[in-house]
Amino acid sequence: MTANKQAASGGVGWAPYLFCAPVMLYLLVFQAYPLVQELYLSFTQTSLLSPGKHDWVGLRNYADLFGQAEFNQVLLVTAAYTVACVVFSIGIGLGTALLLNMPFRGRGIARSLITIPWAAPPVAVALIFIWMFNGQYGVLQHAFNFLGLSSGMEGWLDNPSRALPAVLLTTVWQIFPFTSVVILSALQGVSSDLREAAVIDGADRLSVFGAVVWPAIRPTVMLLTLFITIWSLRRFDLIWLMTQGGPIGSTNTLVIELYRRAFTYRELGEAAAVGMVGLSLALVITVVYFRLTVRAERAAGH
Amino acid sequence: MSSISLKNVTKTFGAKTVLGNINVEVPAGEFLVLLGPSGCGKSTLLRMLAGLETVSDGEIHLGSRRVDTLPPSARDMAFVFQSYALYPHMTVRRNITFPLIMRKFRWWFHIPLLGHFAKRRIESSPEVRELVDRTAKILSLTEMMDRHPRTLSGGQRQRVALGRAMVRQPEVFLMDEPLSNLDAKLRSSMRAEIIKLHRDLGGTFVYVTHDQIEAMTMGTRIVLMHAGEAQQIGTPREIYTNPANTFVARFIGTPAMNLVHARLEGSQLGIGELKVPLPAHLGVRGADSGANVLVGVRPNALAIGADTTQPGIAGTVGLVEHVGAESIVTVRLDTARTAHDRDGGTADEIMVTEAGYSTLSAGSKVRISLDLDQAVLFAADSGKRISNDIPLPAGTAHPALQLQPQH
Amino acid sequence: MKKTTLDWRQALLMIVILGMLGITAFPIYWMLVTSTTSSADLFATPPHLLPGLAQWHVFRDVFGSTDVGTWLVNSAIVAVGTTVLSLALAVLPAYALSRFRFAGIAIVGLALFVTQMLPEAMLVVPLYAIFGQLSLLNTLTGLILVNTAFTVPVITWILKGAIDGVPMDIEEAASIDGCSRLGTVFIVVIPLIAPTLAATAVIAFFHGWNEYVFAQTLVSAPELHTASVGLAGFVGELSTPLHSVMAIGLMYTLPAVFFYLLVQRYVVAGMTAGSVKG
Repeated sequence: MTANKQAASGGVGWAPYLFCAPVMLYLLVFQAYPLVQELYLSFTQTSLLSPGKHDWVGLRNYADLFGQAEFNQVLLVTAAYTVACVVFSIGIGLGTALLLNMPFRGRGIARSLITIPWAAPPVAVALIFIWMFNGQYGVLQHAFNFLGLSSGMEGWLDNPSRALPAVLLTTVWQIFPFTSVVILSALQGVSSDLREAAVIDGADRLSVFGAVVWPAIRPTVMLLTLFITIWSLRRFDLIWLMTQGGPIGSTNTLVIELYRRAFTYRELGEAAAVGMVGLSLALVITVVYFRLTVRAERAAGH
Repeated sequence: MSSISLKNVTKTFGAKTVLGNINVEVPAGEFLVLLGPSGCGKSTLLRMLAGLETVSDGEIHLGSRRVDTLPPSARDMAFVFQSYALYPHMTVRRNITFPLIMRKFRWWFHIPLLGHFAKRRIESSPEVRELVDRTAKILSLTEMMDRHPRTLSGGQRQRVALGRAMVRQPEVFLMDEPLSNLDAKLRSSMRAEIIKLHRDLGGTFVYVTHDQIEAMTMGTRIVLMHAGEAQQIGTPREIYTNPANTFVARFIGTPAMNLVHARLEGSQLGIGELKVPLPAHLGVRGADSGANVLVGVRPNALAIGADTTQPGIAGTVGLVEHVGAESIVTVRLDTARTAHDRDGGTADEIMVTEAGYSTLSAGSKVRISLDLDQAVLFAADSGKRISNDIPLPAGTAHPALQLQPQH
Repeated sequence: MKKTTLDWRQALLMIVILGMLGITAFPIYWMLVTSTTSSADLFATPPHLLPGLAQWHVFRDVFGSTDVGTWLVNSAIVAVGTTVLSLALAVLPAYALSRFRFAGIAIVGLALFVTQMLPEAMLVVPLYAIFGQLSLLNTLTGLILVNTAFTVPVITWILKGAIDGVPMDIEEAASIDGCSRLGTVFIVVIPLIAPTLAATAVIAFFHGWNEYVFAQTLVSAPELHTASVGLAGFVGELSTPLHSVMAIGLMYTLPAVFFYLLVQRYVVAGMTAGSVKG
């Protein structure tokens, strides 16, 4: 990395390297080095109780993972959680942004207030939602009973088929303000001349959206999709506190599985292997995303 | 081809009146220019014609139809934006075809795959293709039909915008300062193209600009606007020779018409220390002797003499600017005063143009003589014209006019 | 005729917007209701929907019955430390990425981007070992250090976007006046991006405030627990009354919500300027 204080061969001098050196060093110590450690750990069998003692096992951890049916479930749950997060948070975010873009009294306040869920700390959010989902006394449970959606006395969080939807609801509640605010700012950048031109050409509201608005906000939405996907792969606090991956692994994403293997089963090597799988997925998705966007831009005449 | 009629059109935003009581009759085939400084309301008026702004009061008629309550797409008017407003993600061909597709739009076109194919069908149908290709040929766009707007130059984009308007074969063309974003050279060639287009298509054009050269060269009639009101409506020649008030007088013509303070004294005009006989066409009926007036006289109707013994208004040369074929001389007057301050205050500067290269220099004492044949009189307090029309050469038509609104 | 159609459309819009706002605000409101409802009423059916106005003392009581005071102080220390360190580290690279063209700019940019992808839960294990060796376990300093590592990339990115928006002319004028490069950064550029700096300060602060995994794993001493850990400790635990737990939750949440409301415009502007194409 550029941590060394070598003089640059160009005319910029040392300044850029000196400016970047502290941060790069910092990230080297606190991110790169642990990452390399993780990679190494994934090829070992290491117990939490004696973290200094590593037994090299090569690819055994990985082979074991892909042989286990539970790991398939982990991958499935992760995929379901991620896709649902992206679809709902961006869908609801888009709808909210379109609403907030319309003229109405108190619009400024509404736009500010909509960010409340995103501002709230995940631990507190988990706590209140756990209470709201409580099977006997939770207010959401009462609402579900009223609507006929209940699953009996046990709350959604204790029901294997309802736990993931519950966690999803909580997650989407937290992140849709972010997507809506970002999409809103993209909407505000859509040229009003262009909208008016389409109206004069005879387009109705939906056609104006398709011909003018959507092409303009598409890059933003695509980037948001990438961010939400990566964040979903990383999300830990909410899921861990609400369900710890249960019941019966129905909310067990890659990150949760990682944590459980490390701190519940105390197998650091296996946990590291899970982590590497997750990271690889994130990297692959990012690369695919950039390839696709470059190709799409070229097709649109850039 | 349709005529346009604006009756008492008013626009208010809350308590603020942006356009007050505009009345204009535009016969079919007219090239009407809405001219005025920034903020005068000309763009707002154009947008109200298009349906992009609502009409607070008054009516707009297109031919025999009343249109001010109709949405833009029902008015059969095409609009060309200053920013061109081309769809960036569509090719030139598709940009031009878009209005035709929208015309044939059905509700089920919104269904994803079905709609897509239906739209493509319309796009490739022979009548549509033929119309689009013909429009492209007129505007010399045939080579760039498959390119995207971002790869085109300003002039080319402007022509695509024109093509998108033309292809609809509308009754009326509305243009909002379409040439403002082009450089000077391109502007003059595009001016000629638009004039030619008007001749060939024969439609009714309404054109907004702040550039008086565009207005004077392109318009068949001009509506000069200021602060939301129509100051004068007339042909370019009428506005130049018979300005209705001091605003019009100072707006049209470069350098601007001088407004000299004077007093009406019987059959004479007192300007500073000079007394000149009042020309016949400036004879004012019923005006009091001693009334304060402003004499509007263009810089080229004044002559400077270096000989201070000759009769004339006394002054000292302040600045001489040589612009090639003529020189613009700014003279500071000794006793006479001009009304060249926008706030109505008095100034002492007057502008004179001399043909050729002037030999005058700053500081010279001079005498200015006036040729009042083309002069106009304005009331000093209200700024409105108070003299009769200047007789125009025989054969010049005076079209029926509706003059400017009440205050 | 036109007027009335507009009105019911407006009414529908208002209803939907209010519904949306209701959904976003409801859980916070519910925290308030739960914390001010007596234990008996909490388990009543149907549930009480309004805050119990007689129960405000719960907010005072929790300071005595739990360690919430210590927790909040610890959270504040970690948050402030994270903010200061993150901003200090991020300013110069943000400037470099914005103003300089140098070999390695791609690496720096890539490094910042990739580190945003790493899950905290993944790095906690090796960091646990590293911190053990550096004697940083069970220290708030350790938390500050590790939180900073995770906020610096985002903050650098946002600050870069803000610096992009400062015209070069001003810096050139300053350098003609004799200002060194470093001087221009601090005397000229920083003041001009003050709103964005404030926004990133808020982001860093609340990253430190909200953070859970490291606070839980790297610190075990109870007197050093942050509010996130303290609060999480109530999950599944039955002895502390629910209204006390919710009171703590509310006290923990409100500062975050309040400050975000103040700066949210700049936060979004910062994030969208840097990362989103127009």
